[in-house]
Amino acid sequence: MKYDVLVIGGGIAGIEASLTLGDAGFEVLLVEKDPSIGGHMIQLSKVFPTTDCAGCITTPKMAAAASHPKVHLMTYSEVKEVQKTGKEFRVKVLKKPRYVEEDLCIGCGRCEEVCPVLVPREFDYGIVGRKAVYIPFEMAVPKKAVLDLEHCMMCGRCERACPKDAINFLQEPEEVEITVKAIIVATGYNLFPPERKKEYSYTGNLTLIHTNLNPNIIHAMQMERLLAPSRPYHALLRPGDGKVPERVAWVLCTGSRDKSLGNPLCSRVCCMYSVKQALLYTSAIPFGEAAIYYMDIRAFGKGFEEFYTMVRDLGVYFIRGKVARIESRNGNPVVIVEDTETGEIREDEYDMVVLSVGLLSNPELSEILGIDTNSYGFYVPPDENANPVATKVDGIFVAGTATCPKDIPDTVAEAAAAAAQCIAYLKEVGT
Amino acid sequence: MKERNKIGVYVCHCGGNISDYVDVKKVVEAVKDLPNVAVARDFVFMCSEAGQNLIKEDIKNLGLDGVVVASCSPHLHEKTFRNAAKEAGLNPYLVEHVCIREHSSWVHSDNPEAATQKAIWIVKAAIAKVSLARDLESIRLDMKPEAIVVGGGVAGMRCAIDLGRAGITVHLIEKSPFLGGRAAQIGKMYPSGISGIELVKKLVEEVKNNPNIKVYTNAEIVSAEGALGEFKVKVKINPRYVKGNVSDDTISQCPVEVPDEFNYGLTKRKAIYKRDFTYPDTPVIDMNACTKCGKCNPDFNQKPKTVEVTGSIVILATGFKPYEPKEGEFGYKVYDNVITLPVFDRLISISNGKLEYNGKEIRDIAFIYCVGSRNEEHEYCSRYCCVATINAALQALEKFGDLRVYHVYRDIRTYGKYELYYEQAGRDGMLFFKYDPENPPVVERSGNKLIVKVKDLLTYGEEIEIPVDMVVLSVGMEPEMSDVFTMLRVPFSRDGFLQEVHPKLRPVETAIGGVLVAGTCQGPKDTVEATASASAAAAKADTYLVKGYAELEPFIAEINPEKCDGCGECVEECPAGAISIENGKAVLKEALCKGCGACGAVCPTEAINLRGYYYDQLRKSIEAAGGD
Amino acid sequence: MAYRALDQAGLLHVHYTPNTVIIRIPCASMLRPDLILHAFQSGFDAVFVASSGPDCPFLGEECVRKTAKRIEKAYELLDEHGIDKNRLLLTGVCSTCVEAIVGGLERLEETLSGE
Ligand SMILES: Cc1cc2nc3c(=O)[nH]c(=O)nc-3n(C[C@H](O)[C@H](O)[C@H](O)COP(=O)(O)OP(=O)(O)OC[C@H]3O[C@@H](n4cnc5c(N)ncnc54)[C@H](O)[C@@H]3O)c2cc1C
Ligand SMILES: Cc1cc2nc3c(=O)[nH]c(=O)nc-3n(C[C@H](O)[C@H](O)[C@H](O)COP(=O)(O)OP(=O)(O)OC[C@H]3O[C@@H](n4cnc5c(N)ncnc54)[C@H](O)[C@@H]3O)c2cc1C
Ligand code: SF4
Ligand code: SF4
Ligand code: SF4
Ligand code: SF4
Repeated sequence: MKYDVLVIGGGIAGIEASLTLGDAGFEVLLVEKDPSIGGHMIQLSKVFPTTDCAGCITTPKMAAAASHPKVHLMTYSEVKEVQKTGKEFRVKVLKKPRYVEEDLCIGCGRCEEVCPVLVPREFDYGIVGRKAVYIPFEMAVPKKAVLDLEHCMMCGRCERACPKDAINFLQEPEEVEITVKAIIVATGYNLFPPERKKEYSYTGNLTLIHTNLNPNIIHAMQMERLLAPSRPYHALLRPGDGKVPERVAWVLCTGSRDKSLGNPLCSRVCCMYSVKQALLYTSAIPFGEAAIYYMDIRAFGKGFEEFYTMVRDLGVYFIRGKVARIESRNGNPVVIVEDTETGEIREDEYDMVVLSVGLLSNPELSEILGIDTNSYGFYVPPDENANPVATKVDGIFVAGTATCPKDIPDTVAEAAAAAAQCIAYLKEVGT
Repeated sequence: MKERNKIGVYVCHCGGNISDYVDVKKVVEAVKDLPNVAVARDFVFMCSEAGQNLIKEDIKNLGLDGVVVASCSPHLHEKTFRNAAKEAGLNPYLVEHVCIREHSSWVHSDNPEAATQKAIWIVKAAIAKVSLARDLESIRLDMKPEAIVVGGGVAGMRCAIDLGRAGITVHLIEKSPFLGGRAAQIGKMYPSGISGIELVKKLVEEVKNNPNIKVYTNAEIVSAEGALGEFKVKVKINPRYVKGNVSDDTISQCPVEVPDEFNYGLTKRKAIYKRDFTYPDTPVIDMNACTKCGKCNPDFNQKPKTVEVTGSIVILATGFKPYEPKEGEFGYKVYDNVITLPVFDRLISISNGKLEYNGKEIRDIAFIYCVGSRNEEHEYCSRYCCVATINAALQALEKFGDLRVYHVYRDIRTYGKYELYYEQAGRDGMLFFKYDPENPPVVERSGNKLIVKVKDLLTYGEEIEIPVDMVVLSVGMEPEMSDVFTMLRVPFSRDGFLQEVHPKLRPVETAIGGVLVAGTCQGPKDTVEATASASAAAAKADTYLVKGYAELEPFIAEINPEKCDGCGECVEECPAGAISIENGKAVLKEALCKGCGACGAVCPTEAINLRGYYYDQLRKSIEAAGGD
Repeated sequence: MAYRALDQAGLLHVHYTPNTVIIRIPCASMLRPDLILHAFQSGFDAVFVASSGPDCPFLGEECVRKTAKRIEKAYELLDEHGIDKNRLLLTGVCSTCVEAIVGGLERLEETLSGE
């Protein structure tokens, strides 16, 4: 199979790049390793600084990618090998078995209804469960079921319930060989795993109260899910006991600007998303009290400072200090911090604490692609000031959070930039 | 005309955004039995694939002849739903998208009942409008592969290069005598460490070597008009007053010396001057300074030339200007050694051995942050200055050693990997003091030192006095204003920069079709972000120009010759000169029509309608909404 | 532009009177004066013309003058039919002029309740 461009990663960066290239008339293959495209953005509640709902912006782009005549999707697939020969790249892509025939499945969800197995749902970071056979989320593209063999107990109920006979336990991984002229890498970021910051007592298990780990300490992506219009239970409740959280704190720079964890970088979005979450939280729970523990508030983008001052004026507390520890008292998390503006050591008790986790790199393809990363695993464009999306390999471009943490406006700009570089390159090598 | 009577109505919950306040079921109930309606449904996310499929299936299975979608603003998803209809075989202009989120649920969340009633009215009006909708065809506009880029800074050049490489003819218009913009004035740049001059050189080389790019320097835009596909820009090219090759020797003959603006007056230049790192390499004579002595073999008879360039797209890359502090602001213009960051940047670049200013060696420096940003006058943060300040301080330290550096800041915004610069500054022993905007630092003089008095929040509000030789003000960015903005009617954001249509969905487009923005004219950026946005603008232009055509909405005037009595009122009224009277009847030149509809409003016989907004449609919607 | 201000009002979640219906037209200069009269005759108590003012993407400054002419004509028509002129309001509304929308509607409300 031949395409003009291979786009790796179906987050907002990959989608935007694919649509731009498609609109300019090029044939694009978009490869995504998860069962649906959408990346991290589709999981967000509303997005700063405009507070429009993330779903409202992402869903139509996802739908456009699926229906664009020039854009071809390959989900649940991974790039295994890339070889440059002359002006072409020969690429091997592994299509992982869904155990559901993609062509047949109509996304009705009957299989899901009958499956007896319940495991934490990735899309909601475990706040709710999903079945062993499941549709990743409401707005998934493609909206097709996928069967998770690891948890499946082979009862066969889904097979019987499916109106289209789409369940196929015998599916095998399939290797597809393609040829393209250019590649855009938009593989995004990984969330900082909060359990790595031991002092903050985060438990990955939201249903069990451990001796010192507290389920009412959640991470920011979980908070995004709790704040999303499509949130589980349609209510904002804390995971430990389902109580309405009346006092909530955000702990900024969790896993960022922290050399002890090997990540001195700033994650660039967590200040702003925390300010945003505090706003959304106070509008969901009008009498709720919100406090943000910070070192510097990095409200640097267009409209960000204005947004920050607005939220500050609404009465959200900002306390300057790097949180030392989080302990538990009566099931409530207690934030222990030195207020660096007063010198006071505070012990503040909350109903819920949100860890504003940082964005780490996802360098998994760097060897396969032969492009360099910095010591933190982000791809480095060698000529960053003049051309922030070019790599040292002619014909390979990078976009979005794959090069450095960044917000959506910057990600989208880079995605289009990568498309422009790609078009210029394709025109030069001849199409 | 025959009314459409198989209309499908789709009411969106928007995952709660609408349905939390507007009772969507009630809206569906209220309209489902109306005579023109075939089916009415509600759904969680109409814009999702599943939602769109619902509409498509109904169009196919029920043979709908019109569709009403009530959800978010049509500015977001009108196209989405039109495309869905088209895919299902229905004329896309039979879809009416109305807004019950921004216009109802969100603004009347205090009164769900009224919000629901309003939504019903809006939906009824839309049904009425669709019942009289006509099949329309979008207009295909051929696009000559030609673009106009205004501004030859890094953003303008990046954009021109990307377009030129894609085979598009580019007119790159720069008002100053040389390409490069403000980046050339920067010493060692973050993040890659190259100098501003190297950066500009690199881009200039590519511009020069690309046969598709035509550069106009010393060029002033006198008029700009047109629309997507047919912009016309008149450029006045001011003469350089030089003849043939001018050697460096000849230049040195010039007896006049004036402050060199490139170095903010820290050095002098001749009245005739050039800049080695950029394009063109021909010098220029500054007539404000020239005494017409004739020593440089000038040609004073050269006259300004006016050329007209055309392009299918205009890209604005007019850049920024550093904020100029007011007299007395932190001692600016009151004390000699209070300077701004851009000047300091030049000072380190041109100083060798030791750092001197006004004949005084500088051993300690205080930087005051957020000057001209994050205050009442400029609410926004200028984004580049925290990193640029630390970067400049590090360079000074590297170049001149033995400096004591103090940073007086509000928040250090070294976002992303720029944090490493902040960390380095700490490691190098620079000291940081945090001030509260309510209690800003004060600069005073004491003997031959400047004293910065700051109430430092990091030491719990202690009053600290820092004696220094120099105070550097980290000034923010302001947009560089230009008449082109008004000529093309591009709107501004609240912060005074040019406004994009939507920061995430359409970040490089303006409300004016075919006018795009690149670089710092849209908001503060460093070169990484400015060049990315410039390439993004090129990408948007590519989607029209590489493909060679654009599809435009069909909403232009339509004249019914049977009704027209040739009075000519419309000819007068049309702002585009698109209508003429031929053989006693008005005739429309479609390519010129802007789609305002002004002609229709004055026609005594209602012979002119605006497609998509036919008066009978509007009348019927008004009746339907006013009904009860 | 004015329609965008209504969107903006939504984004900011400001409240204004809900007994309104929004009819979208591309440019206020297309408004036939008789349409305004028609609105009153169809049961509306007031008409608020939110024009783009000088920000008009079609006509710029020109739009103000043209739209004013329409409104003058409409006033004449209203007079002829004995409808209070204060029930018709024209305002230039830029894309972020949320206050202009809310203020305009408040004025109309006052007019109506004063009668
Ligand atoms: C809690 C939180 C809140 C946020 N809120 C906001 C906000 O309000 N506003 C804002 O502007 N930004 C916000 N952000 C930032 C935002 O999430 C990012 O800017 C944006 O999602 C980046 O998009 P991306 O496409 O670069 O990366 P991603 O969304 O990470 O997408 C990468 C995609 O590539 C796929 N992929 C990865 N590796 C491979 C591979 N090897 N092969 C194939 N596919 C692969 C992934 O599965 C994924 O789909 C927030 C971030 C967090 C963590
Ligand atoms: C002190 C300082 C230090 C900095 N340090 C760094 C750094 O280390 N790293 C980094 O990445 N960035 C840095 N920056 C930011 C960098 O300067 C900008 O990002 C960059 O210059 C923006 O480029 P631009 O093309 O958008 O605008 P500009 O550089 O302003 O260029 C705009 C061009 O358009 C022309 N123009 C304007 N109006 C018209 C008109 N009407 N007609 C024709 N032409 C017109 C101007 O003459 C100019 O040539 C720094 C900025 C400052 C002030
Ligand atoms: S039951 Fe079958 S068709 Fe329905 S979602 Fe499951 S696999 Fe797809
Ligand atoms: S076979 Fe597996 S996936 Fe299917 S219903 Fe049973 S447990 Fe669930
Ligand atoms: S963006 Fe804010 S919270 Fe995130 S790492 Fe940077 S400073 Fe910390
Ligand atoms: S970047 Fe830093 S110095 Fe510049 S305005 Fe923002 S906070 Fe102030």
